[in-house]
Amino acid sequence: MRLAALVAAPVLIGVLYAVLGALGLVGLDAHGYTTEHVTRILGAGSTWRGIGWSLATATVATAAATITGGAVAIAFRGTRLGDRVARALVAVPLPMPHIVAATLSLVVLAQSGLIARLLYALGAIHSAAQMPPLILDGLGIGYMATMAWKEVPFLSVVAISVLATRGPRLEEVARTLGATPRATLWRVTVPVLWRGLAPAAIAVAIVIAGSFEGAYLLAPSNPLALPLLTYERYRTIDAARRADAYVLVLMGLMLAVIAVVALEWVRARWDAE
Amino acid sequence: MLARARGTTVTWALWRGDPSINRYVDDWVAPRLRQGFGITLNAIPGQGAELVNALVVERDAHRATGTVDLVWINGETFFNLRREGLLYGPWSGRLPNAANVDSASPIISRDFEQIPEGYESPWGTVQFALIYDSARTPHPPETYEALRAWIHTHPGRFTYDQQFTGLTFLKGLMYAQGGGVERFQGGFDSLRYAEARDRTFAWLANATPSLWRGGATYPQDVAQLDRLFANGEVDFAMSNNQNDVVTKTKRGVFPASARAYVLRDGTIANTHFVAIPFNASSPAGAMVVANFLLSPEAQAEKAKPDIWGDGSVLKGDTVARRYAVPEVAPEYSIRLQDDWRARIRR
Repeated sequence: MRLAALVAAPVLIGVLYAVLGALGLVGLDAHGYTTEHVTRILGAGSTWRGIGWSLATATVATAAATITGGAVAIAFRGTRLGDRVARALVAVPLPMPHIVAATLSLVVLAQSGLIARLLYALGAIHSAAQMPPLILDGLGIGYMATMAWKEVPFLSVVAISVLATRGPRLEEVARTLGATPRATLWRVTVPVLWRGLAPAAIAVAIVIAGSFEGAYLLAPSNPLALPLLTYERYRTIDAARRADAYVLVLMGLMLAVIAVVALEWVRARWDAE
Repeated sequence: MLARARGTTVTWALWRGDPSINRYVDDWVAPRLRQGFGITLNAIPGQGAELVNALVVERDAHRATGTVDLVWINGETFFNLRREGLLYGPWSGRLPNAANVDSASPIISRDFEQIPEGYESPWGTVQFALIYDSARTPHPPETYEALRAWIHTHPGRFTYDQQFTGLTFLKGLMYAQGGGVERFQGGFDSLRYAEARDRTFAWLANATPSLWRGGATYPQDVAQLDRLFANGEVDFAMSNNQNDVVTKTKRGVFPASARAYVLRDGTIANTHFVAIPFNASSPAGAMVVANFLLSPEAQAEKAKPDIWGDGSVLKGDTVARRYAVPEVAPEYSIRLQDDWRARIRR
């Protein structure tokens, strides 16, 4: 318990500072209690568009990474050499920092990147502008692909351990009761995997929605992703309004809390089943 | 002063994003400070908004001695630091080398129209320039109107970044659309601003559909714009320092045929300064460093295009700048940045 408090303390202090900053009680140009920062952020269209964009892209990227991670775990769960090699290969991007992954995407996916150069050499496109924009694009295709790719190793590692610990016994029971391999996969393996993976998927979605480097290099300027919007507000020229950033930080935190509470609620229902 | 400075470590927070500047600071300035004055220079990254935010946190935490002794700043940061009372001073007038500063130049004696009042010491001066590839674009447009026409005949080949450099481009455009920089001098005037902004945004509204990606998105910072230019995705880059193109060409970032030029309507020239935070642990050491930075040798070394290409601030050294216009009150920058974000970028 004491250790847990120690881990949480910096976050709690940060939250407290952000709350006081958002209300004009500490920080730059703090002249006493005001709801000015809160009102301005809640009233700005860019806030809601930024949150919407970040949530949507994080959800799609997480879904893609979760499905891929689960599929990898199911396909390569065996003990043969090929399975082991495949599992090791999938884990390769795990230690790569987000900023390196994003830079790599830039080199590969940009309109003047490796794919574009290859297509140009093959005569499929005749100028950089003909390459569909995958980087800094409104839909965030390159951004989502990069984030998903970066998170697949983590989710497959979790999926492999979930299957190894909870899979075999239930699957055997199902088969003993006469289930076909196909029915066992869809009625037993996949649900077991999904329930075990859900907390990790929620964590991944929160990490993606809040990650700065990937968004800085790959996300568009309109709408501006939540981490970029927060950063921009924190360094706006007019110091008197930098406290707006605290409101955005707290909103991001609130979304994370909502996600965790929702997960706990769903898990409680699963346990009750 | 020299005696008190000897043996101290001076922590200098500055923008560390340019290898040429880092080399000048780490390999040329630092060894001379150690040999000549017994000062250890500790250069750390930190600039603009982050500096102000960090100093506010130190002030709120009642830190009597801070972590930074010297900061490299421009007018907007000076405005915020002064308003928050975060600077030590006055001190810069007492520096022996301050007598050599070209204080007759309005670009050096004023910082975004603010009088430094001894709270900052000039370090260098630069002028905004557009960068093009003379092999790709042999006849670049020379005025804002010609630029707009060029943008329409070359759709998707021009853009500007969302941060400091792009904002300087927009301010130059605003001066030109608003009847010249003279109309903006003498403090902030909201009516004059609104009128000039509307004309500037009309220019942008007309040009934006023909910008890179149709103006739907903009490069995050000038480094991204440099990359687009170097990879041939756009035909122009820009820089707050007209000599930047020489250093970037030498480093191979830009093609050898890249050139810089200024628009005839005028582009912004400004001076960057060093200042001492209110809680510096070694103000004496910081002052010795600031004085050394103003020495003729240090200024001349820094001005060499293959070293950094940063303009000197000393009398007799300041080359007559073509089409240079000064910065105006910082409120113009603040409002223009806000309104651009809300109405053009959306």
